[in-house]
Amino acid sequence: MTETNMNTNMKKETSGLDEALRSALQRQEVPDGFADQVMARVAAQKSVPQLVRRASWLSLFTQPIFTQPIIRWAALAAFATVMIFGVHLYEMRRERAEGEAAKQRLMLALRVAGSKLQLAKAKVNEMNANENQNRQVKE
Amino acid sequence: MAERTDAEQSADISGKGAAEIDFAEIVRRYQSAVFSIALHFLADRSAAEELAQDVFLQLHANLSTLKSEDHMKFWLRKVTAHRCIDYKRRRKPTQVSLDDAPEPAAPTKSADPFLARRLRQYVASLPEKPRLVVILRYQEDMRAEEIAAVLAMPLATVKSHLQRSLAMLREKVTRAMGEVKL
Repeated sequence: MTETNMNTNMKKETSGLDEALRSALQRQEVPDGFADQVMARVAAQKSVPQLVRRASWLSLFTQPIFTQPIIRWAALAAFATVMIFGVHLYEMRRERAEGEAAKQRLMLALRVAGSKLQLAKAKVNEMNANENQNRQVKE
Repeated sequence: MAERTDAEQSADISGKGAAEIDFAEIVRRYQSAVFSIALHFLADRSAAEELAQDVFLQLHANLSTLKSEDHMKFWLRKVTAHRCIDYKRRRKPTQVSLDDAPEPAAPTKSADPFLARRLRQYVASLPEKPRLVVILRYQEDMRAEEIAAVLAMPLATVKSHLQRSLAMLREKVTRAMGEVKL
């Protein structure tokens, strides 16, 4: 069977379904008063004050005051300064916290070393005392 | 008064600019198309009505950006299609058997009302994108190229959705109703 014949057969097969689908998916009538309801909602939306409809805080930057270049640059510079200062402050605090932690670790290490030395000293003293005692017994 | 033809209405739009046309007239002109796409997709009359109203509100807000009647028609179909998909995704999918599924549309003047009803149910059970493709093809009588543009989808994908959906629908109809002459 040639490709043309196959295509013709396929078209014949689908044409019945095509027609049935066209008939099944006809456009439907809208409910009564649909257009009036839409117009009422449009009117209601118009009466809502702009402030309430503001999408997000970002839309602040589209307000007339921010459309002037000098104001926009000043706002950007202020924002950048605050950001730099904030980062600097954060770094300072982080360094201070790290220093405190290191100091605590050192103190702990010194305390441990001190107690170990005390222990060693006590052992040496004990050994010396024993040695003296033995020597006296021998004499 | 005799009804105005589409050509006359198109001439109005191109002459005055879309924004100047009476919005209520625009709603009346396209309400059936927008509502029917939503209804065939969602198979829920009240949801379709709400969605169609939202589409027209969005149209009102964007009216000044639309340049012609064709642009408006394209915009309406695109926004309705995307809103339908968004609406479905926002709601949790529920498993409903085809027999329990609500009748998506009011009875139409069809050669076989039972077959038409079944077909609407089967179309409503297709996956989202293929369902939209079928609805736009058969309700709006759009070509595959136009559907691809509206749904921002490659042409080959549209054609394959259409082919697979038709095969699936044919199989379901045959299984449910025996050898129906299609």
